[in-house]
Amino acid sequence: MSDSEEHHFESKADAGASKTYPQQAGTIRKNGYIVIKSRPCKVVEVSTSKTGKHGHAKCHFVGIDIFNGKKLEDIVPSSHNCDVPHVNRTDYQLIDISEDGFVSLLTENGNTKDDLRLPTDDSLLSQIKDGFADGKDLVVTVMSAMGEEQICALKDIGPKN
Amino acid sequence: MQGFPERGGPGPGPVPNDLAHLQATMHTIELACASIQMHINPAAAEATILSLCQSPQPYQACQFILENSQVPDARFQAAAAIRDAAIREWGFLTADDRRSLLSFCLSFVMQHASSKEGFVLAKVSSVAAQLMKRGWLDTTALEKEAFFNQVNQAVLGIHGLDVQFTGVNFLESLVSEFSPSTSSAMGLPREFHEQCRRSLEIDYLKMFYCWARDAALSVTNRIVESKSEVPEVKVCNAALRLMLQILNWDFHLNNNSTKTSINVFSAGARLDIDSSKRSECTLVQPGPAWRDVLISSGHIGWLVNLYAALRQKFSREGYWLDCPIAVSARKLIVQFCSLTGTIFLSDNGQMHEHHLLQLLSGIIEWIDPPEAVAKAIGCGKSESEMLDGCRALLSIANVTTPFVFDQLLMSIRPFGTLTLLSTLMCEVVKVLMSTYPEEETWSWEARDILLDTWTALLVPLDSTGGNAMLPPEGINAAGNLFALIVESELKAAASSALTDDVDGDYLQSSISAMDERLSSYALIARAAIHVAIPLLTRLFSERFARLNQGRGIIDPTETLEEVYSLLLIAGHVLADEGEGETPLVPYAIQTYFTDNMGADEHPVIVLSSSIIGFAEQSLDPKMRASVFSPRLLEAVIWFFARWSCTYLMNPEEVRETHSQDHQLQSQQLRKGLHSFFREHNQGKLVLDIIVRVSVTTLLSYPGEKDLQALTCYQLLHALVREKHICVHLVSLDSWRNLANAFANEKSLFLLDLAHQRSLAQTLVHSASGLINSEASNQYVRDLMGHMATYLGELSSKNDLKSVAQQPDIILLVSCVLERLRGVATASEPRTQKAIYELGFSVMNPILVLLEVYKHESAVVYLLLKFVVAWVNGQISYLEAHETAIVVDFCMRLLQLYSSHNIGKISVSLSSSLLSEAKTEKYKDLRALLQLLSSLCSKDMVDFSSDSIETQGTNISQVVYFGLHIVTPLISLDLLKYPKLCHDYFALLSHLLEVYPETVAQLNSEAFAHVLGTLDFGLHHQDAEIINMCLRSLKALASYHYKETASGKTGLGLHAAGRKDSGGNLQEGILSQFLRSLLQLLLFEDYSPDLVGSAADALLPLILCEQGLYQRLGNELIERQANPTLRSRLVNALQSLISANQLSSTLDRINYQRFRKNLNNFLIEVRGFLRTM
Repeated sequence: MSDSEEHHFESKADAGASKTYPQQAGTIRKNGYIVIKSRPCKVVEVSTSKTGKHGHAKCHFVGIDIFNGKKLEDIVPSSHNCDVPHVNRTDYQLIDISEDGFVSLLTENGNTKDDLRLPTDDSLLSQIKDGFADGKDLVVTVMSAMGEEQICALKDIGPKN
Repeated sequence: MQGFPERGGPGPGPVPNDLAHLQATMHTIELACASIQMHINPAAAEATILSLCQSPQPYQACQFILENSQVPDARFQAAAAIRDAAIREWGFLTADDRRSLLSFCLSFVMQHASSKEGFVLAKVSSVAAQLMKRGWLDTTALEKEAFFNQVNQAVLGIHGLDVQFTGVNFLESLVSEFSPSTSSAMGLPREFHEQCRRSLEIDYLKMFYCWARDAALSVTNRIVESKSEVPEVKVCNAALRLMLQILNWDFHLNNNSTKTSINVFSAGARLDIDSSKRSECTLVQPGPAWRDVLISSGHIGWLVNLYAALRQKFSREGYWLDCPIAVSARKLIVQFCSLTGTIFLSDNGQMHEHHLLQLLSGIIEWIDPPEAVAKAIGCGKSESEMLDGCRALLSIANVTTPFVFDQLLMSIRPFGTLTLLSTLMCEVVKVLMSTYPEEETWSWEARDILLDTWTALLVPLDSTGGNAMLPPEGINAAGNLFALIVESELKAAASSALTDDVDGDYLQSSISAMDERLSSYALIARAAIHVAIPLLTRLFSERFARLNQGRGIIDPTETLEEVYSLLLIAGHVLADEGEGETPLVPYAIQTYFTDNMGADEHPVIVLSSSIIGFAEQSLDPKMRASVFSPRLLEAVIWFFARWSCTYLMNPEEVRETHSQDHQLQSQQLRKGLHSFFREHNQGKLVLDIIVRVSVTTLLSYPGEKDLQALTCYQLLHALVREKHICVHLVSLDSWRNLANAFANEKSLFLLDLAHQRSLAQTLVHSASGLINSEASNQYVRDLMGHMATYLGELSSKNDLKSVAQQPDIILLVSCVLERLRGVATASEPRTQKAIYELGFSVMNPILVLLEVYKHESAVVYLLLKFVVAWVNGQISYLEAHETAIVVDFCMRLLQLYSSHNIGKISVSLSSSLLSEAKTEKYKDLRALLQLLSSLCSKDMVDFSSDSIETQGTNISQVVYFGLHIVTPLISLDLLKYPKLCHDYFALLSHLLEVYPETVAQLNSEAFAHVLGTLDFGLHHQDAEIINMCLRSLKALASYHYKETASGKTGLGLHAAGRKDSGGNLQEGILSQFLRSLLQLLLFEDYSPDLVGSAADALLPLILCEQGLYQRLGNELIERQANPTLRSRLVNALQSLISANQLSSTLDRINYQRFRKNLNNFLIEVRGFLRTM
């Protein structure tokens, strides 16, 4: 790759430091992420249009807030930059669910992580609690972006593991 | 079998025929109808009515309602119930029952002919027609004659006008019932409908036509003589409609026998053109037997005079331009214009011309003089007569040559028909110009019909591509018209330039919407090439000049839009759509020449050069900023793509197809036209310009996806399709710059991902222009080497886990994967080696990335799609050891994917995010199935030097193992995605058909899952899916049967019953499927097309499980209370497995016999099994 790409490859130096990255609007696709109104969103729809017949293209994004599920929309000229959130997902084994609504998670290096609150929504809550109550070994995936984090998936790794 | 007991249970007993009960039924139905109308609990009301339809033998009640009810809706429903019940129970109604039902219906309509509720009569009439048809093949000619005698009496008017009207209407229902496209379903094979159609066409259709004609004749005088509307009009109108309907019949017989056995090689081409260009207009070809009725009897004269007489009355009371009888008469006249074929004597077309002239002399009044007609419509006159006139011209154009078409009018007017057509269309275009851009008006429709007429006249008819030249007067007419058309298009463009309606304004959609229109324009322009192309050249240069002068001073938008529109028109005029083939230079252009014209003075060359020169200016940044809007460049790129397919570096010398009959001079000129853009002349220069403009669109128009899509998909793809162009491409500096920018420059990583994939594919394809395979492989390595290395480096980073999640890294990885996928799809023998190495080098990184990005579904999908494309492109070339490596890699990939996803549940507040997650999963799985299918193909197509068995690779086991990994991920819920479902069953049925032995080796859990999905598929709505499941079943059962017959285990334990954990005996799988297949065939709804493949599955199942089959048969028989039906069932079950010398072998003949048996069996018993 040429020199112009180098800074991309070596950008690990400040990995994790930045919460968002600039990216050209035209390159953001359906199923990618975007920041709309300071919220991290998953893009569920992109359409392009022109500003007048002989004008330039602009992108119309429909995003869903990855934490609260709210729908947000934005229009940006294709060649301009948008902010893209740095979305991180980490797997933890679920050790315990405490009564005050916190979970206790086992990290990769053997420590526990106890600062994550359970979701407040009843159906999500019951999905997690039921699985845990059944005595299954559950791995939860925690999604974090722009300073927020939330459980986004669980996986049953069998009765004994 | 769950369905049996319910069905066989005690149904409602025979309806007691006492009056009270009948009245009660009538009352219930009336009530139900009323409540539907007032919308009170409509569901319950519908159920009541449905129960009447479904009750056994409801005829008496229905007849009672029809005769006594005061509620028309109830009578309507009763008629419908008669129809449903009779069609269902037809098999066991006695001949007398059938006859009496039919005559009841018929006498009902005759008796109530004067009733006001026309819809009840129409319904009963159509019920009679359906009953007639249902019994058609069992009724003797004598019985039919007696019956039709009655109808004839009615139609002749002996019993008065109302009955006459009813009789004609009955015939109309009958004809529509017998015409395949309008017939109602009767649960019978198509063959039945076909036989009925034939029989009616041979023996009755002409007779009905004569009756209709006589009915119309009998009332004509009254209508013509009366001063205001008379009741006879109703009869006449119905008769005209019936005649029209009969002329619409799709005549099969009587035609010259060549029609049925078309010589594919000679006649095919022309027929194809006919059918594609002339879809709107069906030709009427009833054959010579109809000559006396339609032609020689003065019938046309009568019809034309009738309409002329009606025209006189339009100002009077009761008649107007759109009154039903006028509309019917006009439609019939237009239909007569399409009359053609052997009905006319082969007298050099004289009889046909006379016929057309007779029609035209009537029609001319509707459209001539065009100016006055258009003016009258502008003042509020109805346009329908004028439109019908246009349609008549279209019909005539379809059955004549341009020359004959033009001559027709000469005998009654001082000008030819072409001139009339041109002036008529000019008027229409003028109206269009004055009203545009208001909503659709009549002028749109008129323009479309007239354009079709031009197309019909001008489209080349023979395979040589030439069309009869227009007479000089016609050429001038076409020239004038084209000038006016261009003027109107430019005006429309200019006036729409500033409107900002966003949707539908993209080039693709606007072209496809306008495409047909534009290609008609092109035909007109080519007919008058000497004026059309110079005109376009002049208009272009005017606008280029205007753009140049006005830069920065005047808003160019209107001019830009005009140029845009001109580019589309010029593209169509100069070149045809290739549709993947190399289009020829249009014939009209090839043959066009004038005296004393130098090679570079050919108008086509002048026009092309002027456009190319204009486009070249887009390379200048200043011009780009001020003139070349994305939309304008879209048109330029589109024009290049279309134009270069035809003209650029045209490889052959002169195409020799038409050279014999033309003079030397024309040949030389054509040569000039051809060679002008070939390699040694301007060709390479032009190619360079095209490439540089393309690169500009990719680099200098960031975010303009539509423009870049056109460049990538249409233009560049088209260029690399031709090897001789690739040879020059790879030698161009501009192309090398593109490849270099692609490998190294950041800006091309900003293109849309799909565009990058396409670009990678294009660049690899261009390597076919290099001198040898070695160079081509090196080209691919140079192009992609960096990127493969990048993936390798990235995947070996220590902090990969944190780095990988950064958005910029995700974007970069996605780009690289899409590019790799593009390269993989461009696999060719020449570059196969490099592409294999490329994929090989990223195998491990791919697995690492799959692990790292397991939560990043968008990346996972790209990873999978790359592997799918790579394996698909490579598999057939791989040597045994390479195959082993690839197979091993695929299995590791499948296992890794499975371990990440099995048992995973997404948790989200947003339902749309959850459904997105599901869709992503579906797409992944579909990719995995495609991967397995590709692996499967190794057993079919293999170009390697040694057998893969040498490395111990058994493809069938591999694929089953893969399926074993994938199927647990495919829930029945996911099978609701049609494409996934289709792919899954296609793979499954393929595996079962080709490798049934391997399925026997699956463990019982996997086996049960596979079979569970099979059962699911059997009850799917999509006939194709059911078909695939039936094929799988056939494969399974016949494998087991053949194996066990030769003393082997076959499916072994799977086929034998076993005890489940609860200690209950579970049936073997073949037994289960025998049950469910019989259940499906006898009691459920399915398409009749499936009976054949169901028979193929049923036969081996029965042979495998004969004992169970007997038991099930006995169950069915025992449940049948009615002794006659019972004995029929016994016989039917018996002959299902014994008729037609059915034996117990599984060969082709036996399968065929069993198909027949099953068909007969179902016709025989399904009717009563489903109702009782």
